Formats: sequence, structure tokens, C-alpha cells
Amino acid sequence: MSELEPIKNGVDRQSIARRSEDMTSLEVYDKYGAMAYGIILQIIPQVHLAQEVLVSVFSSPQLQACNSYPFSFVACVIKLARAKAVEAKRKITAIAPIADPSNTSDTSPAKIFDLSFCQGFTPEEVAEKLNISKSEVLRSFHEYFKLYRNA
Amino acid sequence: MEIQDFIESGILEAHLLGLTNKEEKELVRHMVEENQEVKEQLVDIERDLTRYFNGSAATPPTAVREIIHLRSGQDNFRKEKHTFKNSASAENSTKFLDVEVNDTHIKVHKFWRPAFIAVFILSKIFLIAGLYYYFKAVNQEEELLRLKTEIHQVK
Repeated sequence: MSELEPIKNGVDRQSIARRSEDMTSLEVYDKYGAMAYGIILQIIPQVHLAQEVLVSVFSSPQLQACNSYPFSFVACVIKLARAKAVEAKRKITAIAPIADPSNTSDTSPAKIFDLSFCQGFTPEEVAEKLNISKSEVLRSFHEYFKLYRNA
Repeated sequence: MEIQDFIESGILEAHLLGLTNKEEKELVRHMVEENQEVKEQLVDIERDLTRYFNGSAATPPTAVREIIHLRSGQDNFRKEKHTFKNSASAENSTKFLDVEVNDTHIKVHKFWRPAFIAVFILSKIFLIAGLYYYFKAVNQEEELLRLKTEIHQVK
């Protein structure tokens, strides 16, 4: 199952926040472009490259899959923006490797979120880097957004 | 697994961030289908994620919108299956094609690349062959002239 593949039957779609009708890529861009650009800049700080990734996100046929996504459109756009940015970052680091940013002593939820979401490591890789279990990595995501909610 | 444990495990956040594997996606799907509480929690997390990422939103340059407009317009024109609107509105959007482009470059199909390369190589081959036969003909003419003068001298 792909990242953007819809969860099909059984879900009460009325209870889940989502768009009222299918949107064009430009409508999606107008609504979520700034947010997607912010996400991409978090992963790729180079402005020109980030803009190229942004264009690839909103001109991608994969964006069509968001129309049939069972949850909100925004979650789908976040996933797609991150996936494209991480893919571009991997290409850059394959050409010019950068120093490993992980600090094994810092296992704060913010650091774990940064490694997973911004640096493009899988939860398994983060767990291995920080010498913690994968469930602790996943729990950190919950803690991170709980802290954000209460801040 | 208890519902509360499942919610606090962070798997829902990981799922919405695109950080789950196949088994975890299946688990989330199953739990969302089965439990109203999980479903509601997912909506709350989505709201948090939206707020969080809107906090770091950055306005892209207006040129980016133009490029997306052009690219999506071209894609819709080429592939009708990649439209996001319903059929009536899609018909309206494809009726007029915006061709005002502030660009000095043209785009051609990728098949032109090998065609251009083949034409270039063939032109080089014909050029070399042409030069070879030209100089060969000149040499033969000179040789013929030399032989004629020799024959005249012998006579």
C-alpha cells in the first residue's frame, strides 16, 4: 500500500474532517502552498531547491490521490511534501554527503521528531542511532505534539 | 492493546506524518475502522499537525504559482485522467488554454534528442565521406593529367 493510498471501506467519512469536493492542484496550492513550502524548507534549507520541490509536489499526479484520501487533505499534502523533500535531500546527500547531525545523548521528543521528519530517517534508524526502542521513538511523536498542544 | 495505550503509542502521529510501515498502516486502518475514539483522536491530531505546520509556513514567490499553473495545465491537456475537478468544471477549465508565457525557451518531446544526435552523426559521416571522395577525385584527375602529358611526351 502506498503512502497516499486511501484507507477504503468501513471508515465513517462524515466524522473525519476533509474537503467538501475535489480540488484542482492550483486550489490545493492556494490553500496549502505556504504550509508545504514551510515543510520543505525545514527539510531542504536551500531556497531554490525547495521551490523546485514545491513545484514538483503541486504538479505531481500523486496529488490526485489526496482527493480520495480518507482523512483531511492537509495530512496528505504534509506526507507528499515531506516525501518529495526527503527524496530530493537524499539525492543531494548522495552527491555531497554531509556530517551526521545526530547527537546520541539527546533523546528529546523535539530531536527525535527532527531526525525522523526533517532529516528523513525512519523510526527504526532513529531508534538505532539513539540506542532506544522503536516504540519510544513513536511515543516521542505523541509527546512532541502533546507538548505543542499544551504550549 | 488498550485504546488509550494505542493513542499514546504515537502511531497515529507517525501515520499522519508518513512514518509508518505497512503493518503499522494496517493496524491504524483497523483501529480507525473499529473505534470511534481513535477516529476522533485522529481528527484532533490532524488539527494539531495543521496548526503546527501552519506555524512554520512560508509564502513562496508568485512565480512558483505560475509554474504550477502552467505545468498542471499542460498535464491536464495531455492526460485527461489527471484532472482533479468533476467533469463539468474540468470541461470549463480545459476549454481555454492559457498560452501567455514569458519564456524564451521552447519545449520539445524527448524523442527529438536521439533524432538530433542521429542527424548530427550522419551529417559528420557524410561530410567525411564527401571530403574523402572529393580529394580522391582531385588526385585521380591529377594522375590522369600526368599520364596524358607523359603519353604526349612519348609520342
